[in-house]
Amino acid sequence: MIPLSWYLIVAFMLIGLGAYGMITKRNLIRIIIGAEIMANGVNIALVAFSVYTEVFTFTGQSLVIIVIAVTAAHTALAMALMLMYNARYSTVDLGEPVVSEGRRHE
Amino acid sequence: MMMQGAEVLLEQAEFIGVAVIVLVLAYLALEHKEITYAVFFFGFMAAAVAGFYLLLEAPFLVGLQIAVYTGGISALIIFGVLLLPRAQDSSLEIFQTARRRRFGLLLSGAVMLLSAILAFFYPWSDLPPVSPPELAQSLQGLAAWLWSGHGIYVEMVALIMLTALVGSVAILKMMKAEELRPLTTESHPESAGKKDESGSSSAPQTETGEGAKEAGPE
Amino acid sequence: MRLFIDFNYVFVWALLAVALVVIMLAASWILRPHILQNSDKTSTYECGEEPIGPARVSYPYSYFLYTILFVIVDVMGAFLWLLSVSQFRTTEAAVWQMLFFVLLITAGIGFALRMFPQTILSGKETLKLYREGKARRDSQKTEAAQQ
Repeated sequence: MIPLSWYLIVAFMLIGLGAYGMITKRNLIRIIIGAEIMANGVNIALVAFSVYTEVFTFTGQSLVIIVIAVTAAHTALAMALMLMYNARYSTVDLGEPVVSEGRRHE
Repeated sequence: MMMQGAEVLLEQAEFIGVAVIVLVLAYLALEHKEITYAVFFFGFMAAAVAGFYLLLEAPFLVGLQIAVYTGGISALIIFGVLLLPRAQDSSLEIFQTARRRRFGLLLSGAVMLLSAILAFFYPWSDLPPVSPPELAQSLQGLAAWLWSGHGIYVEMVALIMLTALVGSVAILKMMKAEELRPLTTESHPESAGKKDESGSSSAPQTETGEGAKEAGPE
Repeated sequence: MRLFIDFNYVFVWALLAVALVVIMLAASWILRPHILQNSDKTSTYECGEEPIGPARVSYPYSYFLYTILFVIVDVMGAFLWLLSVSQFRTTEAAVWQMLFFVLLITAGIGFALRMFPQTILSGKETLKLYREGKARRDSQKTEAAQQ
């Protein structure tokens, strides 16, 4: 049987990778992907805890189901927001509109 | 006993294989230059994470992960990328500077360290594994916990879905108004060229425009 | 029997699939003649036409709402499947809960489909707006000329 710490290490590496992507990237799509990777890391940690502790068995798995549902909802909203950002500034880069904000509004 | 040893070895080998695949795909999903490939790598990573759930004996989560993440969310992101031909062009994308990259590495290292301290501070890391329930039993218990014991969570999820739908409809309506703005406002893209010819300074042009507007009612 | 051992056949099939692709690519690499790549070879394939511009096209975003609806229905199906395999699916409380759950999401889907014409760009509406704007500008121009 695999010790719990292996799963936790992978989960923390995924959370760190997602945080790195969310901090450094300027592209909105990459920021959304970073958030998804963080959610995946959290899910792995929750399922690992749910298997390795007595009281947490079904709580952890149900929490993962709810997390996945909420992630689907927030991704749908985030993609809609990204499309609107693109319609307004004709770019998906977060740093660019500071320079060229008035391009489409006269 | 011999069989048992081989099984443990196989399990550990599969864990290491899945972990390497997931981490490499996650790195590629963030760092690949072409955004389309990056999104596809994210979809593959979400499918590979289901391997962990398989090792952890959570069969329902395997199906849910593949159905919602690989089938739904990554398809949503791929479709969003396909709508934006400008975003697909990697030569237009501005990548982070080295300073920002170092800053991000530092901060994400701090995130990893803090969560590792949080987890290993408690003696969870050397817990013996609990004998998992039977597969059919685990599905039954999960359904009982979620639907029978805590039904209000399910209704909350339904409410969140409803809110997401209403919110995305509202955002898409705002986006339509944004797309139609050049038609509804006075400055039309076709007439913009003429305006630029008539005078590069905007002051006289607005003067004539306002004068014409005020002259209307008289 | 552990779950991942049941799935070993799947891993064998996955390895076979990867090996098949690698073998086919390597075989075609060995067998094909290695000639220089020129612009005729690397250009987009068009029959009898000179290709102009990049092959990336902008899809109409009218269908984006359908993708969101698909994700929502996906999650709803997963929740209902979990209920449908349980033993208490026919008890009164479970039926009421499921009814409320389905009604809430169906209300959202119905709202989204009802508002769908207001969220997409239709050609007729755009043309109408364009003509209105043009008439307004023309009348302004003639009034300015009269003054």
